[in-house]
Order: sequence, then structure tokens, then C-alpha cells
Amino acid sequence: MAEEPRGSWFGFGFCGFGQALGSGRGRQVHSPEPLRTPGAGADVRRVSASWSYTAVVTRGGQVQLSGAADGAAGGCRDAWASEALLVVLRAGRGLGPGPELQAWAPGSALRGEPLWTHTLVPEAEGADGAGGEAQAGALPLLPGARAYVSPRPPFYRPLAPELRARRLELGAEHALLLDEAGQVFSWGQGRHGQLGHGTLEAQPEPRLLEALQGLPMAEVAAGGWHSVCVSETGDIYIWGWNESGQLALPTRSLSEDGKTVAREGEASGLNEGGPEVRRTAGGEEGAPAPFIALQPFPALLDLPGGADAVKASCGSRHTAVVTRTGELYTWGWGKYGQLGHKGTTSLDRPRRVEYFVDKQLQVRAVSCGLWNTYVCAVERGES
Amino acid sequence: MAEDNREPPAGAGTLREALRALLPHRKEELVPELGEKVERSVVQLLWEAAELFCGGHRSECLQASEAILDYSWEKLNTGPWQDVHKDWRRVYAFGCLLKAVCLFEEPGDSAAVAAALKACDMGLLMGAAIHGDILIKVAAVLQAHLPSAKRPGPGLAEEQPSMKKARDDCVSVPDVASERLVPRLRCPSLQHFRKQFLVPGRPVILEGVADQWPCMTKWSLEYIQDIAGCRTVPVEVGSRYTDEDWSQTLMTVNEFISRYVRSESKDVGYLAQHQLFDQIPELKRDISIPDYCCLGDGEEEEITINAWFGPQGTVSPLHQDPQQNFLVQVIGRKYIRLYSPQESEALYPHETHLLHNTSQVDVENPEREKFPRFAEAPFLSCVLSPGEVLFIPARYWHYVRALDLSFSVSFWWS
Repeated sequence: MAEEPRGSWFGFGFCGFGQALGSGRGRQVHSPEPLRTPGAGADVRRVSASWSYTAVVTRGGQVQLSGAADGAAGGCRDAWASEALLVVLRAGRGLGPGPELQAWAPGSALRGEPLWTHTLVPEAEGADGAGGEAQAGALPLLPGARAYVSPRPPFYRPLAPELRARRLELGAEHALLLDEAGQVFSWGQGRHGQLGHGTLEAQPEPRLLEALQGLPMAEVAAGGWHSVCVSETGDIYIWGWNESGQLALPTRSLSEDGKTVAREGEASGLNEGGPEVRRTAGGEEGAPAPFIALQPFPALLDLPGGADAVKASCGSRHTAVVTRTGELYTWGWGKYGQLGHKGTTSLDRPRRVEYFVDKQLQVRAVSCGLWNTYVCAVERGES
Repeated sequence: MAEDNREPPAGAGTLREALRALLPHRKEELVPELGEKVERSVVQLLWEAAELFCGGHRSECLQASEAILDYSWEKLNTGPWQDVHKDWRRVYAFGCLLKAVCLFEEPGDSAAVAAALKACDMGLLMGAAIHGDILIKVAAVLQAHLPSAKRPGPGLAEEQPSMKKARDDCVSVPDVASERLVPRLRCPSLQHFRKQFLVPGRPVILEGVADQWPCMTKWSLEYIQDIAGCRTVPVEVGSRYTDEDWSQTLMTVNEFISRYVRSESKDVGYLAQHQLFDQIPELKRDISIPDYCCLGDGEEEEITINAWFGPQGTVSPLHQDPQQNFLVQVIGRKYIRLYSPQESEALYPHETHLLHNTSQVDVENPEREKFPRFAEAPFLSCVLSPGEVLFIPARYWHYVRALDLSFSVSFWWS
């Protein structure tokens, strides 16, 4: 798997607790702003944002918090932020040589003692052992992929070893797992169709997404009640709840508010050819598409101009995707500016974030908090 | 927005004063008591919002209350509804309360008052009671200050439909005479009802019990719109809740009546199974609790009272409920079919957990090959008319179709 991309980080969306994007109460940022990380030249390795605070992990091993939780600590390889817990992976501080997993109360400012710790077995040289430096950004999946961390007890959750997890993402009430072979598994609550098995029934144990069998996936991302995955060939599959258009399918709430951006064929300020969204059965080209509240099966989503996707991340009700050519598309709930289109309109179709195009920046990675979005980008022309 | 006569300052001030008088004055009293389920960051935001409110920073308080609402809304939608911790519903109600009270920038702005009323209703529908049902009181104050909003909205200039408006499509009134009828009794004694119907679990129609209730003479479309027109309620859209294209949505009572009652809508809309009388206590004065409920074990406060209000043609598929039910008919007639719990197997209940109390059979159009035993299952039926009360014993299967524009009130008791 590729190294964490180097570049500058930007953020937009909700920052009502004064986290990384801005300061002051109830503030929102509607257009990307550069992240000001303390310490000149601190190269950000990972950004993990919860609702009220953001955790930034640098290559120097510092984790820095901003927002309702603040503080900093060293010796950190990875961090994962949630409202209930801040989970940190620290280089061997415990009794054994292996890294130590620590769960802190966000309000503790990383001082005193963590709520609980778990010493991990030192990793054997795995397929992804790139010079011994563990892949950051794997949390909540633990190194060794034998278990993952949950913000609700039990915090330490083993995974069946035959799952060979490569990546794990948690939604509000479900989990997605990507394995070494590119297969996707899901489990948890299913009432919003977020599991993708075609029903609304809950699933207690990881279950393979049969609809995607044989299509190797490169990325998975979980939103509050929706799921996204990106195939190795750059296709996007999406399913779950569409109440704010987060599946890029027509949603009733946006049409009734009269706030939908013009649909196919109608005048739009965008240069690309009209966005195409392939729907599941029903809704031929040209016929008015029915509103879709729930999508319990994966649906293929085309970006404008047939762009290939490489990365995806989801907030509670919005979706962000990075293309192979370094563009960022966002859609879904936009009330707090988390879509980055200079407003608070929600969208039920993908739209390019023009800021990065205007500034000649190539987007490399995206990481969404619940109501905000963080983006890593480099100047065009840099490798 | 049309420029109507500017409200005299006294009018606007009165509204704000009336609202302030309802709320606790000190921020310590304003924030509700909450347990540890609610995260520290949320509590921090609640205190901030309360401080902003007490400090008179209305628009900043409004921003904070929106964030409170949006975050607690996500909690309300996480996991099964019955597992949602009550504290999150309290937080949601608190957000609605602050939003409602903060919404006036311009005095006399009826759009703002309507939005504030909607915020109250959202808090009543999804939140949990805080500060002694303060949302109901705030809603009452707001409603009283709505300038002429009680008048129905546009599109209702058509002539009033008669209470028994017929639709273009089939108006099948079943030939009830050929079916076994639910027995009728006039004002039976408590003992008689108990011995002959409650204990053995037998349905009966009670006459003379509710026919003098105020609702029987007072309720009409105009009256309902007058009292509750601008209130937001849940509406079911779609022929029946077992259909794929069935959905639930929120709208004001005025919108519901305009879209689904007065006009020929392609879809069926049904204001069904909603505790309207908790939301709008003024309507509760027009009904009573049937005396026979005292024969049960529960307290009077535990009785669930639901409103069922909709156009001709609404259907509740054959299903069973766990409690005893008195179904009081107020406006219009309903065709009702009843099957004993002993016949359950012949009714082919759904196998999923979600619908296991619902039959797969379409009662008035059954698929005989698919459900062969259904045709032979014995049943009772009736046409329930205004003033009549149908006793549906607990777990008794029932199917209901409205023959006219209909308003029923159900009492679920144990």
C-alpha cells in the first residue's frame, strides 16, 4: 500500500469548537483553508477528525489536538478521534517491545493516565512492511489486523484471522472491512441499507458483499449511515441512506427545498459534461428519476467526465472522492460548509471543489470528520 | 413576503415577553439534567448555548442550537428507536426549545413564527419532555401569535367537499349483510362488558358510550384546521405500510388536508397512529377516556391515545396489537374486519421481525393460491359509524378501510 502522501493540508466545514480550521464559536468554513499546524515544517501524516475536535499526527510522531479536546504528545504513530475516545498508537512505551494502544478521554489533554491500554505484539515483517514504519491511518484497525478499536465497549474487538483485513471503517451503527484480496465485508445495523446486502436486517458478523464479489476494491469508506468503496480500476460503488443526497442519487428533501442544483442537461456553471449517475433498476435516461431514500445494494456511481476515483472518505452525511488526476469531488449534506463549494447547499450529485483547480493544486488524500473535510494537496508539477 | 401592517411594538414585545416568562431565567436552570451518556463536548455546547441565550445573543444562540439539534438528531437515528437513550431526546428537545425562542429577528414576521412552531413540533415529535412540557406551552404561545395563519393555505379555495365525498375510482362498500357481524350493545355495565367481552377476548361495538363527546359535534375540517392547521405532524404516504413505495414524512395539518384530503391526490396520505392529543392538548378536551378502561391494570396516564385522520380509501393491513383497543369513530365510516388470534396460522404473518404482527394477505383481494387457508378463516366485520366505539381485544387481528373521509381515535390500554 502506498505511503501516506506528502503535501499541505487544508480543511473546511464545521469548526464550532475551534478545531483546526478556525477559531471562535459556531464558526464554519465554507471554502478550503490551509491548516495551520504548530511547529514549522511539521509534516502531517494523518488527520483524524471527530465532531468536536481534530487530531493531527505528524511524521515526527507528534499527535496534536485542537477543538474541544486539546493537548499534544510524542511517540505517536497513529491516532483515531471519536467523541467518546481518542485512540493513540504509541511506540513501545509499555512493558513489551511492541507498540502500545492507548484510549484516552478526549478531555484529558493526553495528560495523566489513559482510560485503558493494550500492548500489541510487535509486528512481523508483513507485505506492507516498508522499512519497518507501520502504515499510519489504519486505526481503528490495529496493526496485525487481528482486532479493531470501537468507541463503545467492548473497546478491543477481535477479528477472525481468515478475514485478512487491510482496512476497516466505522459508521454510526455499522462497520466496513476491506481484505487483502479486495473483497468488502460489512456488519452491524442495516435499517438504512448501509450493509449493502439488499435487506434492512442487521448483521451480527462480518458478511461478504456478494454484489461486489470478483471486483477487487482498493478503498472503503464509511459515513454515518452510508458506505462507499473504490475499485482498483477507479469505479465508485455506493449504498446506504440518501436522505441528504450523500449517495449522489436524487433525494426528496433537496427537491422540496428547491435547493437542488440543476440536473442533467440543464444549465450549470460547470464545464464538464453533465454528470451521469447510473441508478439501479428504474429511471431511464431522460425520464424524471424517482427519489431514492435508501439504497440497500451497491450502486455504481460515475463522476463527471468519467474520471477515475482513487480515494474516498465520508462524513456523517457527506461524501468526498479524490480522482486519479488530483481533483476532489464532494456531495451530500452541506449545511456546515463541509462540501467546500463556498456555500451551505446540500447536493445530490458530485461536484468538483474548484478551490484546488483554481490554485493549481493536485489533491492527494481526503479525510472527513463528521461535519468537516480535510484534504492533502501538492502544487501541480511536483511529483 | 407580503408587507402586511406592521405589528405595533407592543404586539411583538408581548410575544417575546410571553416566551421569556415561560423559560427559566438562570442558565443553570435552563440546561436540563443529563446523565453520562451525553458526551462532554455536547454538554459544553449546551452550556454555551444557554449562556448565549441568557446574554441575549440571539443569532449566535441560534447557531449553537442548530448544532445541538443536528448532533442529537444523529444520535436519534443511531440504533433502534427504542434503544435511543432518553437523554439524547432531551438534548434534542432542548435544541428545539432554544431554536424556537431564538427564531424571531423581525417582530411580526409570521414566517419566523411558523418556523419556530415547527421547531416546537419537531421537539414534541422526537424529543423527550423537559422543564415540564415546556414545548407545549411555547407552541401554544406561538400559535396564538400567528397572524391569520389559521386560515388554510392557497389551493383550498375550491368548494368545501361534503363529509362523504366520493372518489372517481371504486368506492366499494362491502356487502356487510352477508358477513358475520360484530355484536352491538348499548351502554353495557362494566361487569357485563368485562365478563362477556374483555375476559374472553371478544369484539363488540359499544353504542351510547361516546356519542355525546364534544368531538362528535365540534370536529370538522374547518375546526381541525383552526385548532391545529399550522402544526407539524407525521403523515404516511402510500397505499399501505407493507408496500414498497410507502414512506413517512412530516408536514403541517394544513398541508396534509390540502394535499391528501381536499384534492384528488394520486397518493394516499394518512395521518395515522399519531399521539396528536399529547401534541395539541386543546383537542384532548373534546374527547374522554372510555370508562371501561378502568377495568385494566394500567394507570390512566399509560393509556396511549392515537389519532387516525385521512381521506376515503386509507387502509391498515390486517395486523394485531399487543394491547386492548377502543376504536372511537368520530368522522366518517370505516369497514373493519376482525380475525381471532386462534386463526393466526391461516393469516400468514410475515416472517421478518419488523412485520411479524402483520398478515401477508390483502384482505379484500387475497391471492387464493398463495394463501389457501385464508378463505376458510372465520371473521367478524362491521361498518363503524360516528359515535360508535369498537372494542378490539388484545392480539385480535384487524383490517381497516376508510369508506369516507374519516377521523378515528384509538385508546390502547392494558
